[in-house]
Amino acid sequence: MRRGFELLLAVAASVTIAFLVLPLVALFLRVSPAELLGQLGSAAAVEALLVSLKTSAIAHVVILLVGTPAAYFLAMRRFPGRDAAIALIELPLVLPPAVAGIGLLAAFGRRGLLGEELTVLGISLPFTQAAVILAIIFVASPFYVRQAIASFEALDPEVLEAARTLGASSRRVFARVALPMAWAGLSVGSALAWARGLGEFGATIMFAGSLQGVTQTLPLAIYAELDRDFTTALALGGFLVVISVALLLLVRLLPGWTSSTSISLFRFARSSSGSTSA
Amino acid sequence: MALGAERWFDRGGGVDRRPEERPVGYLFQGYALFPHLSVADNVAFGGRRRVGELMERFRISHLARVRPAELSGGERQRVALARALAREPRVLLLDEPLAALDAETRSIVQTELADLLAELSLPTILVTHDFEDAATLGDRVGALVEGRVRQIGRAADLVAAPADPFVARLGGATLLRGVARPLGNGLTELTTADGVVITSSDPGAGECAAAVYPWDVSLSRELPASDSRQNAVRGPVLSAVPVGNRLRVRVGPVVAEITAASADRLGVAEGGEPMVASFKAATTRLLPATAPVHDA
Amino acid sequence: MLAAASLTDVLPEVDPGPEYSFGGSSELATQIREGAPADVYVSADPRLARALARGGLTSAVADFGANRLAVVVPADNPASIREPADLARPGVRLVIAQEGVPVGDYAREALRRLDLATALDRVVSEERDARAVVGKVALGEADAGIAYATDVEAVGSGVRAIEVPSAAQPRIGYAVAIVRDGAAARAFVARLLGAPGREVLREEGFAAP
Repeated sequence: MRRGFELLLAVAASVTIAFLVLPLVALFLRVSPAELLGQLGSAAAVEALLVSLKTSAIAHVVILLVGTPAAYFLAMRRFPGRDAAIALIELPLVLPPAVAGIGLLAAFGRRGLLGEELTVLGISLPFTQAAVILAIIFVASPFYVRQAIASFEALDPEVLEAARTLGASSRRVFARVALPMAWAGLSVGSALAWARGLGEFGATIMFAGSLQGVTQTLPLAIYAELDRDFTTALALGGFLVVISVALLLLVRLLPGWTSSTSISLFRFARSSSGSTSA
Repeated sequence: MALGAERWFDRGGGVDRRPEERPVGYLFQGYALFPHLSVADNVAFGGRRRVGELMERFRISHLARVRPAELSGGERQRVALARALAREPRVLLLDEPLAALDAETRSIVQTELADLLAELSLPTILVTHDFEDAATLGDRVGALVEGRVRQIGRAADLVAAPADPFVARLGGATLLRGVARPLGNGLTELTTADGVVITSSDPGAGECAAAVYPWDVSLSRELPASDSRQNAVRGPVLSAVPVGNRLRVRVGPVVAEITAASADRLGVAEGGEPMVASFKAATTRLLPATAPVHDA
Repeated sequence: MLAAASLTDVLPEVDPGPEYSFGGSSELATQIREGAPADVYVSADPRLARALARGGLTSAVADFGANRLAVVVPADNPASIREPADLARPGVRLVIAQEGVPVGDYAREALRRLDLATALDRVVSEERDARAVVGKVALGEADAGIAYATDVEAVGSGVRAIEVPSAAQPRIGYAVAIVRDGAAARAFVARLLGAPGREVLREEGFAAP
């Protein structure tokens, strides 16, 4: 009986992996690597790549800079409404991207909630690269913040308290103890958020529109190419897959690299009296 | 909460210094070393001035680049101590410093810790559940039950004159609960629920607990000659546990600690022949009964 | 039935029975090429239908119907567009469909005929089909869009149409082809091309002028 159960587990795992991998394999079987690289030389592809990289990178920096302290606060403090706050942050995860796009328009569009205020400031968001960045931030940040909260919550409170007893202010505890200790989990969340941001489509097309060289990210370019040139669409799709896979792999391997480097603040090769062993 | 003239916390006075502003050296029970920093960086976290000197003193200089995960229990404790002292604290708080160590390391560390505390002469509060540690390392011992101090004094005083049954038990005594009545000749007689009758030279009446220290108990096969100033309890040998080079023997309700040699001579064995536990009335403390405290 | 998005409201009137799947004509052509199960293909770009026929994927193609382009603006017309020439004004946010999509190609052709190439500089977004174009305008985010006149009517309030002069109108016609032969398919095509179909098309604005 035990053998049977083990077998069942193995089969389930195989089926899952096969199902997830099959479309990707099929994709690459349709497009040869030569074709792939050839198509990538087109102006549309290059511009789409640049737009994607630029917008996802900027969005990601914002997510990290704002999301990390936010996650720390939510992880460490208990206050009434905390659960609701965390649920709200997770909302974009279950929201259809198109709905997110409409929501962004409703908030920041010309006729949106903040439309007038923005117009007064001379800021018009729809159809701009800024809109793409906002859309990416909206859909991708929950991936990071959620993971960051979990990572901070998992920290040993005693170690953080120890830092306080050693004279570290709350800020120093965050920067020198909590952040480094939570690094592995934060990296994972970061990768997921970045990958999600790269693949973002629905909210972008609604809020930012699609214009080559300005707002047309890789996913939008793929969508556009579907009619114009299916092969190019496949090539771009394959390319996006390669980047995403590389990203995920990088983050898997990164903790291994960073943990071996010693962030030594104190050069201590030899003691002043010259003894080297105890 | 105040250290000398400095007030650290005063709810009434509105004083509440932040933890990082209180110069305390805190040793956590689990040591709470920073896993992502090397030993040297751990120690330096509280202050850089004395790092080299402290690492030498605690014999961890050779571990400067090592990560806490690779250290032994004893080494970790030394790093934690060095780290706490690097802050140049004015007070030391040690939370069960010996609890996380194995038996062998414990005794070594206990001695070292005693020397260290003497040398530092910083006001130190040490928390432990082991009376022997407290007695060895502390000038004064306080017994805390449910957050309340039951007695503070020299360790010897806590043993010789425990304030209540809990303190007595903390000091190593076995308690026999029962009803006491004065005998009129300076002795008090206590009768337990099981019918065991013993005497104590302490006064007492009503619900009481008699405290008997194992090292005051001797064992024999036969009942000694009847003597009101001597207690003798016959009972089965319920357990015989070696502790160091001595044997802790449970005879009925009484616990005795005898030398291995005596044990051999008497042929003490668990479940073997019943023994007689003898102890003087003079060494038997009588304490007013308190509600039984939940055994920690 | 795979049919052009602009026919969303009119085809069910012609024949309420079949299952319809509406979308951009070029996207639908791609789907058919990739083997999507379709009985009939109704395209806003006859060239696409003919290409499929040449490839043996559909039967012979029949042309029918017509449409006109219109400039669509939000009901409150924030950019005060009164005629197509206004589209070239700096600052105007214009939305059209992307190249390759029939209504996108038609829009570009119309602008060319009107000598308004600069209007293409005003394009802020290229959408996938006519409905998406109108959608952006209806939301008030775009100042103007170029779509089929029938789409503007279909959306109704919230948007207004501005005439594109006949001289600039490209020849917009539809085509229908059978992908998978069958009684139902033939019945549908007969209805569409026959009297009942022509009647409905004319009423809804899809007839040749």
